[in-house]
Order: sequence, then C-alpha cells, then structure tokens
Amino acid sequence: MPPWSDFEPFIVSGLALGGVYALSGVGLVVLYRATGVLYLAFGAVGAMGALVAWSLVQAGAPGWISWLVCIAVAALITLGYGLLFGPPLSKRDPLVKAVATLGLTLVLYGVMDLLWTTSGGEARSITLPTDNSGFTVASIQVNWTQVIGLAAGVVITAATGAFLRYTNLGTAMRAMANDREITATLGVPVRKVEAAAWLGCGVLAGVAGLLLADMVALDATTLTFLVVSSLAAVLIARLRSIALTFAAAIVIGLVHDLITPITSLTNYRDMTPFVLAAVALLVVSRRQVMSRSREEA
Amino acid sequence: MNRHRHAPSARILIAAAGVALAAAGCSSSSSSTSTTTSTPPPSATSAPAVAAVSTSQCGTKPGVAATGTPIALGGIVTNQPGTSFTDIANMANAYFACVNANGGINGHPIKYYIETEQTNPTQIAADARQLVDTDHVVGIVGNTSIIECAVDTPYWAKLGYYVIGSGIASQCWGTPNNITVNMGPRYSSDGAVQYAIAQHVSKIVFDQSNVPGTGYIAAGPNALAKAAGVPITDLTENVPISDADSVAIKEVDDAGPNGAVVLNFTPPEALVILKAAQTLNIEDHVKLWGCSTPCNTDFLAQSLGPKWNDKLFVNAELAPPDSTNTPTMNLYKAILKQYGKAVSGGIGSFSQMGFTEAEIAVHALESITSGTYTVATVNAAFKAVTNYNTGMLCQLWTFGNYPMHIANNEDYTVTPDNGKMVQAQGCTLISSVDPQIAAYRADAGTAALAPVAP
Amino acid sequence: MRIRAAVIVALLAFVLFGIPQLFSLYYVDTMTEVAVYSIVALGLGVLVGRVGLVSLGQVAVLAIGAWSAARLLFATTQPYPVVLIEAGLITMVAGVVIGLPALRLRGLYLALITLMLAGAITIVLDTINFPNGGRGFLGYNGSAITPPAIRLPSIAASDKAYFQYSVVVAIVMFLLVFAHIRTRPGRAWAAIRQSEPAALATGINVTLYKLWALALASFITGVAGGLLAGASHYLYSIDFPAQNSIILLGVVLMGGVYSMWGAVVAALLYQFLPALLQNWGVSADWLTILFGLGVLQVLTTAPAGLADQVPKDLARLGRLLRRRLARAPAPAGGDPP
Repeated sequence: MPPWSDFEPFIVSGLALGGVYALSGVGLVVLYRATGVLYLAFGAVGAMGALVAWSLVQAGAPGWISWLVCIAVAALITLGYGLLFGPPLSKRDPLVKAVATLGLTLVLYGVMDLLWTTSGGEARSITLPTDNSGFTVASIQVNWTQVIGLAAGVVITAATGAFLRYTNLGTAMRAMANDREITATLGVPVRKVEAAAWLGCGVLAGVAGLLLADMVALDATTLTFLVVSSLAAVLIARLRSIALTFAAAIVIGLVHDLITPITSLTNYRDMTPFVLAAVALLVVSRRQVMSRSREEA
Repeated sequence: MNRHRHAPSARILIAAAGVALAAAGCSSSSSSTSTTTSTPPPSATSAPAVAAVSTSQCGTKPGVAATGTPIALGGIVTNQPGTSFTDIANMANAYFACVNANGGINGHPIKYYIETEQTNPTQIAADARQLVDTDHVVGIVGNTSIIECAVDTPYWAKLGYYVIGSGIASQCWGTPNNITVNMGPRYSSDGAVQYAIAQHVSKIVFDQSNVPGTGYIAAGPNALAKAAGVPITDLTENVPISDADSVAIKEVDDAGPNGAVVLNFTPPEALVILKAAQTLNIEDHVKLWGCSTPCNTDFLAQSLGPKWNDKLFVNAELAPPDSTNTPTMNLYKAILKQYGKAVSGGIGSFSQMGFTEAEIAVHALESITSGTYTVATVNAAFKAVTNYNTGMLCQLWTFGNYPMHIANNEDYTVTPDNGKMVQAQGCTLISSVDPQIAAYRADAGTAALAPVAP
Repeated sequence: MRIRAAVIVALLAFVLFGIPQLFSLYYVDTMTEVAVYSIVALGLGVLVGRVGLVSLGQVAVLAIGAWSAARLLFATTQPYPVVLIEAGLITMVAGVVIGLPALRLRGLYLALITLMLAGAITIVLDTINFPNGGRGFLGYNGSAITPPAIRLPSIAASDKAYFQYSVVVAIVMFLLVFAHIRTRPGRAWAAIRQSEPAALATGINVTLYKLWALALASFITGVAGGLLAGASHYLYSIDFPAQNSIILLGVVLMGGVYSMWGAVVAALLYQFLPALLQNWGVSADWLTILFGLGVLQVLTTAPAGLADQVPKDLARLGRLLRRRLARAPAPAGGDPP
C-alpha cells in the first residue's frame, strides 16, 4: 500500500474526473426529468459539436465563435431529434425511448468517423484559454477549465433543479415528461414546451461536449461512450435526483483515481463506475421491485 | 390510420437527408485540415527540389501508360474508429498508379486490391481468402493491422506468400514469411528507451496501450533497462483513455525527477496523456518523455505546445520528411501530391511506409526477367530483394531467407519543434541486448546492419 | 404448415450443401460468422421479444463463452461438442448468477444494469486477456511471439467443413429454443410479456420463467462463443468492444424479436452486409449510420422488425399486384401501366 502522500494528487485529479462524470450525468438526469427520455446520445452530440468547433479553429475562426457553433450544432441536432422522434415515441416505454436515442448515437458515431478520420495518424485536441493557468494543490496544477467544469456541474444542478421545480415552464416540462396526453388536455402548449425542453437540453449537451472535449479527449469514441460511465451516477440516483447524481459522480471519480496508485488494483480501476452502480442498485432494490415502465406507473 | 403510417417513415427520410447533407457539406472540413498540414512550408532547401522532381521517375518508361495484363497485388489494413491505416494502403496505391502511368512493370499495370477490417479475426481470415481466391493476387504488400499477422501467417505460409507490410503483431517480425519496413511497437519502444538510457536517467516507466502482445512488447525495453542497470516499471492502460490525468500523475510519480516516461500508444491516446501532463504542470517533474514511432506525426507536434520542444523524444522509423532532401524523399512528396488524393494524413510516417513498401514491391517485380508473374515468381522476387536502398530508412533493406525478419533495426530520434517534428539524433542501431534483435543479427549477419552510405 | 416445413428443410439443405460449393471462401467464412451470430441474436431475441428483458451486454456474455471454450480447448483434449456444451453451461451459470439479483429490476433499470455489468466484464477480460495456450488458470502467455491457434474439431478442420459444423450447431440451438417456445415456458413467457401482474395472478412463477429465459439465452450464447473461438483461431479482447452490444441490439430489433427468422436476418445484417459492402468499397461507417437509422425506423414504425415487416410488405405488394392485374382488361393502349 503506497504512503498517504502518494494519494494526495489523485484526490485532486479524482475530483476533476468526478466533475467530468458529473457534467455528463447531471445533463442526462436533467434531460430525463424535462423530456422523459434518457438521452444516451448526449456524449455523441457533444462530440460532434466539439469536432465542428475544432474544424472551425483549424480553418482560422476565433475561439469564441467555434464554441458558439459547437453549442449551436448540439442544440440543433438535439432539437431536430426531439421534434422528429419525440412525438411518435411519447407513448412508449422509457426503455424504448432510451434505445431510440441509441439509434441517434450510432448515426452520429458513423458520421463523425467519416468526417473526422484518423487514417493518417491524426490527433486532435481542443484548447480553451483557461487550460494553462490555475493554482497548485498537492504539487499538481489544477487548471481553471477543470474548476469551470466542476462549477458548471454545480450550477447546472442547482439552476435546473430550481427551474424544474419552481417555474411554470419547468413544471410543464416535468408534467409532459410524465404523461404527454394528460398534460395536453390541461391546456399546456405541448409542442412549444417540448421544443423548449429539447433545445435547452441540446445547449447543455453542447456546453458539456466542449468542456469534456477539452478535459478528456477530442476523440469521437471516447466522448460518445463516456456516457456509459456517467450512467453509473445516474443509476445510483435512480434517474430522479439531480443533486444525488452530482454527488455520486464525484464519489465515483474519487474512488476511480484513488485506486490508481494501488498496483494490484490499478488495471481494474475502470470498473469503478460499473461496480458501484451495480452494488448500489442491487442494495436499494432489495426491498422493492424497481421499475420505470408505463404499466406500473 | 394511413396518415400515421406514412408520417414516421417521412421522419426517417428527413433524418437520413440530414445525415447526407452533413456528410456532403462538411466533407471539405477534413480535407482542408489535411492540406494545411500536408503541403510543406516552403523552405529554402526543399522548394526548388520539389519543383524539379517529376513523378515519372517512378516508372521505367516515363509517360507511357501500361496496358498489358494486370499484375494483381493485395493488402489488408485496419480501418475502424480511432485506428485507421488506410493511408498506408492508399499511398501504396498512389505509387502503383504512378508506375502504371509511366510504363508499368514491363508494360503490365499493377492492380492493387485493398481489404479493410475491423479487428475481427474471422473477417481478417475472410479478407485473405478473398484476395487469394477471388482477386487472384500474386503478392501481398502493405498489410498494416493490429492482428492480421497473427491470424493469417499460417495461411500465407501454406500458400507461399512472402508478405511485405508495416506490422504491429509479434508475428510480423518473428516468422519466416512476414517482413516489414517499420520496427513495430517492441523495437521502436526499444529505440525510445535506448535514447532515454543514453541521457542517463535513473528510472524508466514504460506505459503502453493494452493491445495484444503487451508482454512481448515490454520484453525488449525490459532487457535494455536491465542490462543498463536502470530500474523499469511496466504499465498498461485500457484505451480509449478517459482519465488521462491519473495516468500522467501515476507515470510521473513512479519515474521521479530524474526518470523518464516512455509511451507506446496511438497518436490520439499519447496526446491525451501528454496534454494532461502539461495542464497538470508536471511535465517537468521527470527528466524526459519518450514515445515510440506512432507519436512521430506533425499533428502531434502541432497539438502539443512549445513546452515539449526537447522534452519529448520520439523514435522515428523513417527519415524525417522535412529535413531530408534526397531524390527519393522528393519523389515521395511529388507522388503524394499528384496521385495521393485519398491519403488524408498527407506527409507523415503512414504515407512514408506505404510508399516504401510499394517501392520495394515494384523494385522486386522489375527484377523478374521471365515475364511471368505468378505467386511463385513474384514471391521469389520479393524474397530476393537484397541491400536495397529505399531512400527512407537508415539501412539497406534485405528480405533474406531467415526464420525471422527485423529488416529495419536502426532509427532516428525526433523531437517537437514548434509544431513540427525535427531530428534530435541521427541513425542509431537498436541494441543487441534485445534478444530478438540479437537473434536476427546472428541469422542475417552483415545484411542486418547494412547502413546506407552517407 | 407442411409446405412451410418443406421450404425450411430445402432452405437448410441449400445452406448446408449449396453455400460451400457456390460461394467463395470469403463468403463461406462470412456465413460462418452469420451462423454464430444468429445464435447470439436468437438469445437476445428470446430475452427481448419473449420476456421483455433488454440486454445491452450480450457481447460480454458471448465473450465469456468464447473465453471458456478457448480455455478448455487449450487445457483439455475433449471433443469439440463436449467443449461447446461446457462453455454453454459455464456461461449459463455466469448469466444466472449475475442476472438473478438484477431480475428485481425492470424496464430501463434492467437494461442499464446489463450495460453496467457488461462494462465490468469487458474490463476484466481486457486485463486477463484470452487464453492463448499459456499456463495457469488464465492460460494467457503475454510474451509469446507465435502463440498456437485454437484447435478445430477433427471432423471440421477446413473452412467449408467448419461452416457446415457451425450451421449444424446453430440448427440444434434453434431447435432447442423452438422446443421451449412450443411448450410450457413459451406459454408462460407469452403471458408475462402480455402483462406481468396478470401472469402472476394466474399463478405463473414469473421469476422462475424469467430466470429460465436468462439461462437459455446465456447457454446458447455461450455455445455460440465456443463456435466463435474455433472460427477466429486467435481471440483478443479487442474483438469484443462494448459498443458492439449496442449494434447487436440494433440489428436484433431490426431483424425482429418476435420470430426466430428475425435472428437470422439480424445476423445477416450484422455480418453479411458489412462483408458485402466491404467488397463494394463502401466504408463500414455507412453501415453504422444505417443501423442507427434502422433502429429509429423500427422503434417508430415497425416494432416487430423486418422479419415481420418484410413478409407483410411483400403480402401487401402481392395484393396490390393482383388488384392491378385483375383490373386491367385486354391491353388496348389505354391506361398507362
């Protein structure tokens, strides 16, 4: 077992990794609460936006324009998907709606590999101006981008939680996510609310995509399937509590990185999100049957 | 009812149209990025030379298109998201196109069949059979795949094919009928570790991606470090890496202030680790960083900042394109420009490898005097290539009748210099402390060492 | 009914004896993969279609089967059918042990937990690697330069023979599932799919039958893994990436989860179509896009999949043609066709 001082830098990097999972996980839960759809294409959409931003920067566009375009691309794709496929699937099981987003994921994944190829050994990266400045903790530098990432997670958690609970639009979104037909009969402008929900979620995916592309990697495969690890936090919060998702993500990130210096376990550390999610879920479901199906609603 | 039936199909059409538009409209983005990196900046020495080189030098009868019966050659390359070696095959194809436009092989054009695979063993075996049974290829050139050498070697051996490729799996060097123009992960990592040892580091951390054969790959660096009395730690990472920060911290902590971290990853994965080290501000906490050949791309040099100048030392299996001004290098650049539209990475080690393999194949084919191009004659010609100056390698290249082949065992070291990879050390032999290198040199004798005359 | 049986037998005869003769080895090897994955698709179809259990990790189950078979083939000299059954049983036990606590979950939760479990299994396999003739429990020799190939059945050592062997095994697996569907488990599954509370009310032990479905799916997927080991000759963890489970689910949905033919269609989409497109020089990425669109299409319009939809579409086409032909009198140069 390595000495305590060896673990210190991993606490810092673990918090940063937790911030990464939180950004993705919180985004997923917010989308689920607002639209009733577990948007598994969250990572792919963000990756697409980030790659478009990269191409713009390569073509000479200033940074801030590329970020706006990234968010716009993610928002448009998400809005498009929501408007096209939201209504026909609205009566179906949440599982079916989630699997449908896997279809979108595959489409985006194929498009990304076609357009941004790696056939010549290309290695791409996005740099934000906050990357190379920061402060030192435990002999490693924490850069401002990571702080922003973590802060973004906190802000999104608080703001969207409040938005969904206290505003009219937020309440309408939650009602629609629960049951579209009944909400429509109550006189809520269903199409507008739906569009607003999907658009907002798309913006979220774009922002997260940009930050994740900077903090993790600008690689279509990595970013698209990062959602799988973030799902662990989402599952631990049982798709309900945004705050719990955030907390679970931080814990997962910390545990993952703290295992790194332990030589016997280090090769298995990528299992952390999966093991924690499985254990948490199985412990919680000991007493009750857990479902998210129409039948039992 | 009918209305509902048709509307959803319309949704799919709209979605498909959206995809098509995106693909059509954005398809210029990837080519535009490659043009910014593929055209070399006009430098005093190379600009006039490029203008003077005519691609017609590639063939024996300049300007005369070949019209005889085609000679069929084949190649198998990996092409999946994150790992794509199509540039190597496409560059070989470009070279063959040039040869076909300038006389061919005694008037015969070369027809090159490229099979791509997604690391599925059965698919790879099927690709080999397609090339042999359906396309009737008489030679295999340009194979670059994570596992193809492992899967197909018994098949090639049974049929008498002697494969010239750019390998990755251990069988690409350790079997009688496979040979490469590159050194591959083990010997290239040897080169990087060797350079680090020469800088008198006190510890080495060797980290590689968890691809098949990590033990085989690590055995070389471990032998070198052990012989030099330098402690070495072996690590592996599952790719793609999503926690580069912890990887970088782990490596730096283990190596210590006077140690070296040597990486063996594909360019995107190496980039995330190096970038993480930079944003964590720990890149200077070790004496130097090393990397095997995949890091030798200008893309990597551009993505990394100036902090890595003379900090990162990459083993380079092929001559650095920017600082080499030989006729062959200029021919390579000219062919790339004229025939290499499908080569998305432009000038770089991938296209250099494709060029070199095609060059050797053509040289061998041109040596066939009988005029018959069968599996037997073509592969005998491949095997007979001896002391050939490819103009891209440190050594003369020999196939030879040996149980194993490490034809390229002498390399350069390069380092980033403000967005480009430049030479840090000239041709250096990989140490015979690596038992496989020793075994090969014992078999091949002087042919193993054969330096190119300066 | 008799005609249908005769057609099936004729089709199988063509597959067994016609394909090796008529197709090149490239396609014979590809069809071997189709046979293997038709079994996997069948297992997933049983889970999704019969019991409503969406598994996002079947490729991990396949990997367990392949690992077990490879280990046994290297460590023992048992005949191939024995090894296949053993691999199936090991995978079945693993599937049941891991799946039993998960059965308390439903719907989306259950699907996501399979994703989590598959992720964990994938990491473990990445670290311990696949057997390659080494010693010890794991049977992996990391430093081998030329590791031995996985042995083949003595009666089916050539490509063509192994294809026929795989098809025979696939037929046996299909018959096994068919037997289940036609007897008590099948009826119980149908009741559960219709309405779980209602099934409970009629006294059906829902947990037992769900477990049975899980065991059956795991068993046949394990056997498929064994076949895959032989077909591949060398196994690597990179052959089983997690994203393949998603694509597998996609093609199974497209092929259709309610009929056994759907499994064959799914396998053709998954293995034959890519091989075909590769020959035509089309990038595999287009296929990923196609599968994504296919999933969206199936879920929004044709929940029963292509295997259900195509016969329906063909029947509609047939009716349309018959109506047209009945309407048209002697062609007098009147209406345009």
